[in-house]
This record gives sequence, C-alpha cells and structure tokens, in this order.
Amino acid sequence: MATRVKDVQTNVEDLVTARETRAPSRQPLAVPIDQPVTFPLELPESEARLRTPAVGQRATRPDGRLHGLGQTQYIDDITFPHMLHAKILRSEYAHARIVSIDTSEAEKMPGVIATLTGAEVPENSFGPTYQDQPILAYPIARHRGDGVAAVAATTEQFALDALEKIKVEYEPLPAVYDPLEALEEDSPKVHGDTNIYTSKVIKKGDVEAGLAASEHVFERRFSTQMVEHVPLEPHATIASWDGNGRVSIWSSLGRITLGREDLARTLQMPQSRIRLIGTVVGGNFGGKNEITNEPIVALLSKKSRRPVKAIYSRGDEFVSSTIRHPFIMDYTTGVDSEGRILARKIRLVLDGGAYCSWTGTTIGKGSILAPGPYNIDNVLVEAYAVYTNKTTTGAMRGFGAPQVCFAYESQMDDIADALGIDPLEIRLRNGFSENSLSPTGQSLQSVALKESLTQAADRFRWKEWQA
Amino acid sequence: MKKRGRGMACMWYPIGFTVAANPSAATVKVNTDGTATLLTGTVETGQGALTVLAQIAAETLGLATDDVHVVSGDTDVTPMDTGAIASRTTYVTGNAIVRAAEKARDILFEAAAPLLNVKPEQLEVRDRRIQVLGFPARSIAIDKVVHHSETVLGNPAIGSASYNPPTVDMDPETGQGKPFNTYVYATQIADVEVDDETGEVEILKIVAVHDCGTPINPMLVEGQIQGGISMGVGFALQEEILFEEGRQINPNLTNYIMPTSLDMPEIEVGLVDNYDPTGPFGAKGAGEPTAVPTAACIMNAIYDAVGVRITALPATAERVLAAINEKRAEDQAVAA
Amino acid sequence: MLVELTVNGESRSANVPPETTLLKMLREHLDLTGAKLGCDVGDCGTCTVIVDGVSVNSCLMLAGRADGCDVTTIEGLATADELHPLQQKFEEHGALQCGFCGPGMLISAKNLLDNNPDPSVFEVRDALAGNLCRCTGYTKIIEAVIEAGEMMGQEQANV
Repeated sequence: MATRVKDVQTNVEDLVTARETRAPSRQPLAVPIDQPVTFPLELPESEARLRTPAVGQRATRPDGRLHGLGQTQYIDDITFPHMLHAKILRSEYAHARIVSIDTSEAEKMPGVIATLTGAEVPENSFGPTYQDQPILAYPIARHRGDGVAAVAATTEQFALDALEKIKVEYEPLPAVYDPLEALEEDSPKVHGDTNIYTSKVIKKGDVEAGLAASEHVFERRFSTQMVEHVPLEPHATIASWDGNGRVSIWSSLGRITLGREDLARTLQMPQSRIRLIGTVVGGNFGGKNEITNEPIVALLSKKSRRPVKAIYSRGDEFVSSTIRHPFIMDYTTGVDSEGRILARKIRLVLDGGAYCSWTGTTIGKGSILAPGPYNIDNVLVEAYAVYTNKTTTGAMRGFGAPQVCFAYESQMDDIADALGIDPLEIRLRNGFSENSLSPTGQSLQSVALKESLTQAADRFRWKEWQA
Repeated sequence: MKKRGRGMACMWYPIGFTVAANPSAATVKVNTDGTATLLTGTVETGQGALTVLAQIAAETLGLATDDVHVVSGDTDVTPMDTGAIASRTTYVTGNAIVRAAEKARDILFEAAAPLLNVKPEQLEVRDRRIQVLGFPARSIAIDKVVHHSETVLGNPAIGSASYNPPTVDMDPETGQGKPFNTYVYATQIADVEVDDETGEVEILKIVAVHDCGTPINPMLVEGQIQGGISMGVGFALQEEILFEEGRQINPNLTNYIMPTSLDMPEIEVGLVDNYDPTGPFGAKGAGEPTAVPTAACIMNAIYDAVGVRITALPATAERVLAAINEKRAEDQAVAA
Repeated sequence: MLVELTVNGESRSANVPPETTLLKMLREHLDLTGAKLGCDVGDCGTCTVIVDGVSVNSCLMLAGRADGCDVTTIEGLATADELHPLQQKFEEHGALQCGFCGPGMLISAKNLLDNNPDPSVFEVRDALAGNLCRCTGYTKIIEAVIEAGEMMGQEQANV
C-alpha cells in the first residue's frame, strides 16, 4: 500500500518536472473579493460627438477610450479553452534547397501536439501580385526570414523548445544581396532566370531633347535604406475549427476581404467556410496588408482540432514581415536659366527582397510620383525591381513616395542653390496648379500644392529667415 | 559648433490603388430610435478610420457622430472592402458610405414626404430631423420617420452601396493614363541644428501643411500628420536594417533605433482649405502622405546648415560628419 | 512558487513557475491583460507597470521579485464613476491611435505626475522616453499629460 502511494507520488513529481513546472497554472489561489477591474459605465460623451453637422468635428474615439482603459482586446489578449501556441522555425540560409525536414523528434517533445511543413500546405504560395511567396518554404528557402516548419504546443516555451529538435537538411545555394549585382546577367538567381521581376516606364515628351535644350543639367544618385514598420503589436493570429469544417481566424490583418480570398486559395477551401475577423490592429503602416502566418495557424489548428494562437516575437517581426524597399535613384534634371525644369530623366532600382509582395504597387507609385509635383514637359522614368536574398520588401506608408521625394526635393534645392533662387520660389515656379498635366498625362484637379507651400512658408516665417 | 539650417520639401500623393480596382462596399441601417448602424469591411488599424466613417454616415443622415455605431472587420457580417491600405479609407470607403446612407435616407424621404405634404426631392436632413428645403419650420424628427417607415409602411431604412475610384489604364510603353482619381499635396519645413564636430542633427521644429480635402475630423488628421512625421524622422536620421550575408544584424529595438519622445521636435500643423467634389463631403485622405516629405525637408535643412548634400539615408551622425569632413578637405584643396 | 502581491489595491496571489515574469503573471495568471508584450526585452515599454512607486518593464521583472509589492496596472486607474485625468485627457486629445502603447504610456505618465505634478514639456518627454509609440509622434500624448497634470493640480486645489 505504502509503495503504491509512493509510486503515485513519484509519477506526479515526474509529471510536474516534465511538464507542469513550465506550464502556467491558470488558477490564482486568491480570487479577488472586490472587483479586479473598475471602470465607469456611463460617461458623458464629448460635445464634438453629439454635435451636428458631424463632418468637421473633432470627435473623440470610442475605441480611444478603451485604449486608455486598457480594455481594447488585441489578439494576444484573447484566450480560448485548450488553446495551443505556435512557433515557426526560420531558414538557416539566405538561399538554400531544403533536402529534408524531420519533425519526428520535435513531435516527441513535451506539450507538442502538431507540426507543419511546407509540403503539407494545400497551395503553398501567396502574394498580392505574383504568388511567388511560400507559406512555409519548400523546397527552396530564399531568405533567412522564410519559415520552414511550425510547431503547436501547449505553451509557447514548449513550442520554442520543440523547434530546436526539428532537423532540416539544407543544400546552400549561391545568394545575391546587392540589388545592382542582382541586375547583372551572371548573378545568382532568386527565382527563374532573371532577377528583374517587374519594371515600369513613364515617358512624356522627349527627355533627351529637353536635356539638350537645358541651360543647366544636374545629375545625382540618391539611395535609401531598408526600414521596418515597427508596429508595437507584432503580427498575431488565432485560428479555431468547428464541427462543420468552418474555420474562424482572428487576425491582425488590415484587409480581411482579400485576406479571406488568399486563405481560401492557400487552404483550398470555399470562402464561405472561412470567417476572418479583423480585430483592432496595434499598428499597421502597410506591414499587415497580406496574410503571413494565418494559413500556418489554421492548418495547425486543423491538425490538432484545438484553437491555436501565434504571436510573432519582435525578432520574427523584423526578419519575416515585409519592410520598406531601398531605392537607388539616378536623377538627371535640365533647367533653363530661370530654374524652370525642362526635362527630368530618372532611373530607379528597387531592392525587391526575396518575394514580390507589394512591389508592383511600390514601383508603380514610385515611378509615377518620381518627377515630383512639377510641370515638366519631358519626362522619362525607368524603374526596375530586383529580387535579392533578403527580407521581403512590401507596402510601407507611401509605397516608394518617401524615397523618390527625398531625391526630387534634394535635387530641387541643389538647383535652387546653384541658380541662386529661393527654394520656395523655385517650387512655386515649377509646381502643379489646377489642370496641370501629370507625368502620366492626367489632368489634375483639386490641386493645392502652392497653397501648401505658401501657408507652410508663412507659418515658418520662411521669408524672414531667408532675408 | 552647432549650426542652424532650414529646409523645405513638398510632395504629391495619390489616393487608392494604381489603376487596379479597389472597391469598398457599405451597409447603413437606421434604427427606429433614430440612431444608425454602419457595416464596413475595413479594419481599424489605429488611424481612427471608424470614427471618420461614422462621421460620414452621420453627416449623410443628419445625425451626430455618437448616433452611429460602426460594426467592422468580420467577413461573416461586413461587406467587401479592399481594406486599410493606400490612404483609401476616407475617400473610397467614405464614398461607399455616403451612397449607402443616401439610399437609407431616400427611404425615409419617401416615408416623410406625405407626412410633410411635399415631394421626397423637396426634403433634406439636418439636426436629426427631416425638413423641407427652404422651409425648415416644417420638419419631423428622424426617429418618428424611421418608426413610421418601418412599422407602418413596412419599409425599413437600410441602404447598401459600393464605390470604386474611376481610373484609366496606363499604356505599357509610355505609362500614359489616369492611374488615380485624385491626389493630395503637402509641404513640410524643418528647422535643424547640426553639430559640425559630431555630425549630430537635432530637429528643432517642423511645420507641416497638408491638403486632405475636407478634414472630416481635424483632430485625427493632425494625429496622422504628427505620426507620419515621426516615421519620417526615423527614416531621415535613425532607422536602418543592417545585413551581414543576408542575415539581419539588428532585428530588435535595442539596435534598431526609432524615434522616442525625446527625438521628436515641436510640430506645427496647418491644413489647406480645399474641397474635392469627388470625395465624401470634399474629403480625400491623410494616411501615408504625412510621412512623405519629412526626410527630404530635413536633408535640405542639413544642407542649409552645413553645406553638405546627404545622398544616402539615414543621415546618421557618422554619415553627416563624414560628409562634413569630405567637404572640409575639398574646401582646403580648393583654397590651396 | 507562490507570489502574493497587491494589484490595484487588491490582494492577489498565484502559484507560478519560478521563471515567470511579472508581465506573464499579470496577464496569464491574474487575467489583467492591459499591460502588453511588445518586445519581451525591455525596449518598447508596452508592459510598463508601477511597482512600489517605481515604473518598471514588467517583461524584465520576475514575478517572484514583486512578491509582497504594491503593483499598479492600467486597470487600476479609473474608478466606477470616472476616468483618471490622464485617461480623460488622452481621450479628449485623441492621443492614442492604435492604442497598443497606451497602457504602458499612461502608467509612465501617471508615475511622472505622482512624483512631479507640474512637469515641463521636457520632463514629460524624458519620462516617456522608454515608451515607444509608432503612430502619434508623441505630440498629442505630451499635450494630454501636461493637461492632465494641470487638471490634477486643479482637483488638488479644490479639495
């Protein structure tokens, strides 16, 4: 009898050491006797919310109140019974063929319920323009942020521990990191036989004739860096299936209609069987505009028949979410003696990272906007986006506009300085006004460029400083 | 020595997708107590879009912002929306909401016309009432009309509609076309101090004047501008993902430096008085463009302060100092 | 291990594994999800709470170290009748956008005003320097903190 009791205790201790010490106990010993959270239920609304007409009011935000109270439910604040936590293993190489992935040891780890590799994803590709990006890389990993396998376990720590037991055999491939090198014919190729995966031309008038007719020609190369969105809330997802074969997905995605289309495609399911819930997003800035780990979490949830949550670590956020395109920008601008722009020739090279993502939009907007908000009869913009074995570049606040604005506005001041013209004056002289023709020949309406220039100059007391 | 400099930059920026269709749909339901519910498939990503959209629905129905409850972001419930991207929500989703709310309003005008003894086209909404155009003394509270329409006439006040900005495709050879339906404009001016011994740049002030058409909620537009500038400041001076053989070497907020409260200058915001007839109540948008001219105006201010043209971002202290030293060497060579 | 602390004036305790951080204990054991996990290494400040009068990154502090301490989280600011002046002013100014930094930001601001009821703009900037915000440029946050300080001073004067 005594032995049996001891045995039982030993078993319990084993269990405790192996699993429970790391699995958090969900039961507080002391339940609060009063209210753990206190908040007012009925506050008077701000005047601005109650006033008509509604447009133009500095109306306060109901969600803003909840933010201040700490009541906003972001995805990491949501929990379901039996919920698992998923973690993703990322590629050890910037470019490699995956020879094999062995998850068997990971599956034996404590708390592990399910694993997933790219071979198990029904349609292992996605992307808003080209579907060139895998959900989990297989058989080729094209940058170090590519996921190669995922684990769902009863705690985040168990999932992380299990990742270390996944054996991936890689055959490293030559990689290319520099976008100008990637343009060269003999460079390593990221996809297919050329790294140039999208290009754009904007052509108006005769740029060579315009430059030839110019009094002064200014030439300069500008370049910009890779920048991360840094939403304070990292990407987050919860997926949960029900007995009707429907999956509900809580996602930090900023565009759910198209997100559901992408999910239906990757999971090979009817859209009507997918419910995608866009919760309050803790910062987007363009970085949460396409699916990332949603299909992985959905498939892990399907395999385990349990709700699965995945929260990116800050490191995941940097290496595997999209970032801002670095641009290399060659600007040649010809002006007359009064500083009027006669011609502008621009060549843009976008470091497109390992996958297309929103590059199509970035190169389009970047090219159209590149000549700046100026009346120029002769324009030529040639832009190329190239693959490199680096972090995927995608949408980020401005789709290439901050990059080209840095170049065209720096050069405007170069011109103003060389010709001894006030920077304000040279912009007013060349700037768009109502019915100006854009570089694509569009007649522009609702143009307020000069009003913004003069109001900003007045507020800044620009003329006093220049005097 | 610290040297002061000032620089400006202006910009243009489009609203919505480049040529590609990017529709939004919306449903507006007016309740029998005169409040309304708006269903939209967009997602609140922090900018305050749902409040702006509520204001647009409220304006169309003659209600106050607080009268409109917004349901968003659930594919089981809310209509199609291209989403919180491309500075399109106020303009595209807003236009869809105006059209949806107008349909609901037309149902109420049909119901109110016989009660007020006029034709439906003689009616307007204002201050939670439906009133006769040109004779506001004859009016009726909107809740009474909704109740009448729904419970007596059997015609609930619900409207659904969509909007897609009209564009013209771009010629593949020349890029000629009308890729966007409208654009916004802005100017930012920076006042900076550059330490010519360390290369360190301190931004003292930024004046930002933006066109967003009608500001539906000026407070939220200001918030977008101030936030956009902070992203622009990081892009200009601090932020850079560094790589070593394809591996990020600073994938954390310890070594990837972004602006803190100590890095941000005083910001003075101005809004241009503009009205775009194609937008909801004249509005265009404000999200992305706020971050566009910031780096450019700071680089021009650095040039004004110390005479060096920064051609590669970010303008870290090392990079600015290197440029200053290079210029000194050149100046000396010229002098010699 | 058993950790007993006072959270927002309530005695709370939980049996947690020794490596549990205070943030994890608050969020997962005490169901107080106001404080957020943004970076897990003390860079971003979304997890800020006040422990015995000092604002700390609760993602860096072990729960065991907070044993016996007095902890204030964002959930402890409002009463059943009204918002804390900071919450009121943040709402009025639209000082938060996505809101993820909010709980930590407000707690840092509260700790500042508790110790320095009439701070200068620089003192506010300095006190919030450990709380990153990507949306707002901090402008309206700083305005809201200054006004909340004035409002609290006013309330004090009226007592």
